[in-house]
Amino acid sequence: MKEKDIILKVENVSYRYSDAEKDDYVLKNLNYTFAKGKVYAIKGKSGSGKTTLLSLISGLEKDYEGSIKFEGKELREIDLDDYRSRDIGIVFQSYNLLPHLTALENIILSMNVSKLKIDKKSEKALELMKSVGLTEKQKDRRVLRLSGGEQQRVAIARSLSYNPKIILADEPTGNLDKETENDILEILKGLAKQENKCVVIVTHSENVCNQADIIYELTSSRKTTKK
Amino acid sequence: MYILKNAIISIVRNKGRNLLIGLIVIVISCAVSVTLAINNSSNSLIKSYESKYEVEAIISMNRDNMMQNFNPEDRENSRENMQEIFEAANQLTEDDIKNYADSTYVDSYYYTMSVGVNSSDLEKAEMTSSNNDFGDRGPGGKQDFKNQTNGDFTLKGYSSIEAMNEFIEGNYTIVDGEVSEDFEDNSCIINSELATLNEIEVGDTITIVDSEDDSNSYELVVSGIYEEKENEDNGMSMFSNSVNIIITNTNFISNMKMNNEDLDVSITPTFILTNINVVDAFNAELTEKGLSEYLTLQTNLEQVENATSTISNVKNFAITFLIITLIIGTVVLSVINMINIRERKYEIGVLRTIGMKKSKVCLQFISELLIVAFISLILGAGIGAIISVPISNQLLENEISNSQNQTNSIRQNFGKGMETGQPPTQDFANKEFNGVTSIQTVDSINAAVDLKVLLELLGIGLIITLISSVSAMVSIQKFSPLTILKERS
Repeated sequence: MKEKDIILKVENVSYRYSDAEKDDYVLKNLNYTFAKGKVYAIKGKSGSGKTTLLSLISGLEKDYEGSIKFEGKELREIDLDDYRSRDIGIVFQSYNLLPHLTALENIILSMNVSKLKIDKKSEKALELMKSVGLTEKQKDRRVLRLSGGEQQRVAIARSLSYNPKIILADEPTGNLDKETENDILEILKGLAKQENKCVVIVTHSENVCNQADIIYELTSSRKTTKK
Repeated sequence: MYILKNAIISIVRNKGRNLLIGLIVIVISCAVSVTLAINNSSNSLIKSYESKYEVEAIISMNRDNMMQNFNPEDRENSRENMQEIFEAANQLTEDDIKNYADSTYVDSYYYTMSVGVNSSDLEKAEMTSSNNDFGDRGPGGKQDFKNQTNGDFTLKGYSSIEAMNEFIEGNYTIVDGEVSEDFEDNSCIINSELATLNEIEVGDTITIVDSEDDSNSYELVVSGIYEEKENEDNGMSMFSNSVNIIITNTNFISNMKMNNEDLDVSITPTFILTNINVVDAFNAELTEKGLSEYLTLQTNLEQVENATSTISNVKNFAITFLIITLIIGTVVLSVINMINIRERKYEIGVLRTIGMKKSKVCLQFISELLIVAFISLILGAGIGAIISVPISNQLLENEISNSQNQTNSIRQNFGKGMETGQPPTQDFANKEFNGVTSIQTVDSINAAVDLKVLLELLGIGLIITLISSVSAMVSIQKFSPLTILKERS
């Protein structure tokens, strides 16, 4: 891994819940690096802290020990709202789309929130929808009228709408069948290979792990292994 | 901009929730607009009462100061002293009155002059009863400084229609002819009993003679004959109190005075003050201008306050009702907002996760509330306005009919009523009399809920909307997106 490709560094990161006892850490002394153009899988059993790690990386949780650096800048010191709206795209297991908006409106909303200058937002959003396997007919449907797989595709399209450098996906295929899972994984892999994005997937699916370039495994004893 | 667009989409696609908020705001707005309309009507009633009872100030004897000169051990001399003081204090001239009236506290003024005169062609109505007070004492209760005049008759001059209180209050009524509106001519009106005794008719000319100098005689044309309303004071008298009073204008009496400097003319001024709060300042100004310490200002403030007390109570009730409505409305809206925010926690979580700042989330939620509140306030104001018209008119109804009756009756007292065959001139028809309300019926929604009420309503509505959204804003600040999304999962 070339140093210039490294986009995110997790150094000696430990985390415990605010109401936990002093030494009861969920994550202990983690040291990971994430580079552009790679797909990373973070695996581990339930309760091992996978989603917590993703929350720390995505800036949703900031009371951690150690250091997380995005492009060399400490996360604690940057505006995390701007970071989430421009630099990273998050894809959740439960999609987290706004149900009163259509597929297209959900994608455009993210573009608006990013405050980046994006020309022809509707056309761009439609293009993204097509790139993740959605059709034009689905653009004006409220998201609740779409299937799970279609909603997840909308969520991926939303996360790509402002062209972020990192895609963080939390169990993105957890609610999907095998065939759809493969489709979604192909999209994510394509983002890393063709668009040179850093894709981090939290999963406990062996299938996902097998397709990742690098696997970080969180164990209950807080040890990590690398593929 | 996208925040506003988002807010509108959210309102349109969550109709149930917004209809509930809208309905509550409509009810509040309706109640508030009716209350504000009642408050407005009350205010216009109070205003009309205040103009009905203009703050009148008259100069009267300061009896407390007078009595300080009375020595019980030397009654005879004390009486004489007091008489001298009384007469000295009474020597008000037209110039004095003009000087007093030249004040920022005085809106307008009028005065009456009276002088004792004789007549070469009129026979005085003699009393046989012990009540022979032919003095210049009007039934309205105002008493001139000189209640004893020389001469057989009292010639009384008014400076304007407004000064003719006896006619305005209905104590004198024209039964033939009319009151001349030209206050510089040589017309007069006389009592019907005097007219009967002397066989005088409207259009006849009478001759009056200076009581101090027989060589000065004047002619007056009788333009009207008036009748005095019977009152308890002279129930056992042969004639009414005003039988020997001949009414003319102040200009005529001033001319008499110019011909004979010694003529004993007494003047009673009435000052209409600009407002209720200037009485003391005007009193001080008069003292500074040299008003005798034995004279003082007397006002009709008590009458004004009594007249407005009932309607003030209605106004206070309306304001209390308004405050209660606003408190209940704010509490209900706050509770609904809190419930809404709890229901929309997921939405907040998603918006925060995609990087929307807390301030923007708050702004979107408040925008939604303000849009719904604004539309509902307008609708509520419209409904309230429709309801307000009959309510306001109900409040004003009695006053309007009283005012119309009073105005008609005054016109007739002056011999200007339609029934007398002498329709009032434009000037006279537009005249407002002290003691008569000038209130108009509310015949349109604009009048009941005017722009001022609408702006007040919008202001109040937006304030309670903002107050009720404070709890929602605090919740948004406290919510952690991660916690929300974990709960959802």
